[in-house]
Amino acid sequence: MALLSVQSISVSIGQLNPLEGVTFDIDKREILGLVGESGSGKSLTAMCVMGLLPRIGGTITNGSIIFDGRELIGLPEIELRRLRGKRIALISQNPMTSLDPIIPIGAQIDQVSTLHLGLSPEAAKARSLDLIAQLRIPEPAAIHRAYPHQLSGGMKQRIVIAMALAADPDLIVADEPTTALDVTIQAQIIQIMVELVRDRSLALMLITHDMGVVAQACDRVVVLYAGRVAEMNTVGEVFANPKHPYTRELIRCIPRLGQEPGSLKGIPGAVPSIVDYPDGCRFNPRCSEAQEICRGQVPALERKSSGIAACHFSEV
Amino acid sequence: MGIAPATKDDDLVTITGLTREFSSGGGFLRPRRTMRAVNDVSLDVPRGKVTGVVGESGCGKSTLARLVLRLLEATTGTVEFDGKDLAAQSQGEMRKLRRQMQMVFQDPYSAIDPRYTIRRALLEPFQVQGEAQTAAEAKATVDELISMVGLSPRMMESFPHQLSGGQKQRVGIARALALRPTFLVLDEPTASLDVSIQAQIIDLLESLKEELGLTYLFISHDLSLVRYFCDRVVVMYLGRVMEILPGAEARPRHHYAHALLDSNFEPDPARRKVVTMLGGEIPSPFATIPGCAFAARCPAASELCKRERPPLADLGNGHMIACHHPMD
Repeated sequence: MALLSVQSISVSIGQLNPLEGVTFDIDKREILGLVGESGSGKSLTAMCVMGLLPRIGGTITNGSIIFDGRELIGLPEIELRRLRGKRIALISQNPMTSLDPIIPIGAQIDQVSTLHLGLSPEAAKARSLDLIAQLRIPEPAAIHRAYPHQLSGGMKQRIVIAMALAADPDLIVADEPTTALDVTIQAQIIQIMVELVRDRSLALMLITHDMGVVAQACDRVVVLYAGRVAEMNTVGEVFANPKHPYTRELIRCIPRLGQEPGSLKGIPGAVPSIVDYPDGCRFNPRCSEAQEICRGQVPALERKSSGIAACHFSEV
Repeated sequence: MGIAPATKDDDLVTITGLTREFSSGGGFLRPRRTMRAVNDVSLDVPRGKVTGVVGESGCGKSTLARLVLRLLEATTGTVEFDGKDLAAQSQGEMRKLRRQMQMVFQDPYSAIDPRYTIRRALLEPFQVQGEAQTAAEAKATVDELISMVGLSPRMMESFPHQLSGGQKQRVGIARALALRPTFLVLDEPTASLDVSIQAQIIDLLESLKEELGLTYLFISHDLSLVRYFCDRVVVMYLGRVMEILPGAEARPRHHYAHALLDSNFEPDPARRKVVTMLGGEIPSPFATIPGCAFAARCPAASELCKRERPPLADLGNGHMIACHHPMD
């Protein structure tokens, strides 16, 4: 039984249906990558898992989200609050959305363990110092007293990770955690996150648009396109043997070392707008293999030789 | 400062000892602080080639881009464009020169007036240059530009907000090409775009370069893109040039350039890497560093590195490096 199992969830916000039939699961000690371009529904999926959808006026119209054997959809807010921060933690793209600019950093981390673990202020501080050191931040005591603006972006993101770890969660949802950072810092943060997952038996849902990060860190990958799952597979299969034409094209969009000049082409057209989704497979206007059936009929998400994919033409 | 060497025929732009300082703060009992965003940079941009500039935020790559087009004045040092010292040009002469050198910006939305139709945005460069066009000429110009960047003629009367990010960047490129320049500075032209669109734009820039014989200075933080797209790669750190790689395949020998390229993840799970953690952080740009800017974080740093700034030395084949102890 997976730690988190998301079964065919659909979301509506007003008249719009930004997610349709999104399905995936995550186990302990596993890093699941959620990839897609802007508007594919990556962040919205994270909000569903965190139970934050009502805050932006959205509702889950269908499906189920089972976390550790328990249905999250329909859970009262007070129950969700006990889970959020304690068992499921969120790391967002911009660390300043998680940090309060006028409270010292240490106090903000301490708060998590006093609230969720019931630690005394002294014990909470000791725990925070320990976490800061584990994230390889020099001079933990000085950092504990500092304010967020005194730290660089990479350091702030490490503090947010420390906060996420403070209550010893089982699942971390990281929404583009390194997108705002420089590459050398990104590499370090990704490395730290991978080690944490293995050392602490965490489950990590890593949302990113960066296929390099996916290849480096993830065990399995879900590819989203325009609010639907295009495919889900192990990271090796996704890169070596993609089952959906979109995945294949997406991987070709990243220049590789030694690639011939002029061979980078991109995918023609653009991601469709939510008010103007095409009928059938939503990738069909950009797909080089699209046939009549792709324009008329939505492909079901079905089991292939490995993984699952939603394409009329990938082998079964 | 010695006499600048004469521009070689095959270099369109020659940058010599270029420095730009910014100062901030100051007040009662507090001195003004000065930072060098670009610190003694010398660099040639060969004709018909793509010269890439990479580095992390704050390394001075965007300031360098603006200095090269004289959108910012240099504190010291010179930029020669086609043999002409830009700083010595009068405003009128500069305006004429600007026809030949244009810029494509990162955010196409803020580069185009939101109240202008695409047609008007594409004709604006001619107005700025005081070049009158008949209605027929204007139509021909716009038609040509639109098809050159692969946009549909239907979009001529659209406003920027009606276009997608990729389409807006195509308009940004068309506008930069309007006056038939020979030199384009591309400042992170794809950084705000999705990867599938980024690849389209790079493909477009590649074919335009061939078609029109353009020279590019390509500013980016995306290492895989730079290595794919550029003929030469300039690695900057804290306002200084650390290394100039003669080609994408060249192996970096500067410790910083090596660490930078090493932190780039290949899109291939079979080639995962163990990241070498760089110690420390990028120093404050206000700090005065007498030696190598990277010395505080460099595994090979010696006393010499902390004391003396290494000059940019030629290793042959145009491979330049500023390091006292280069890697093997």
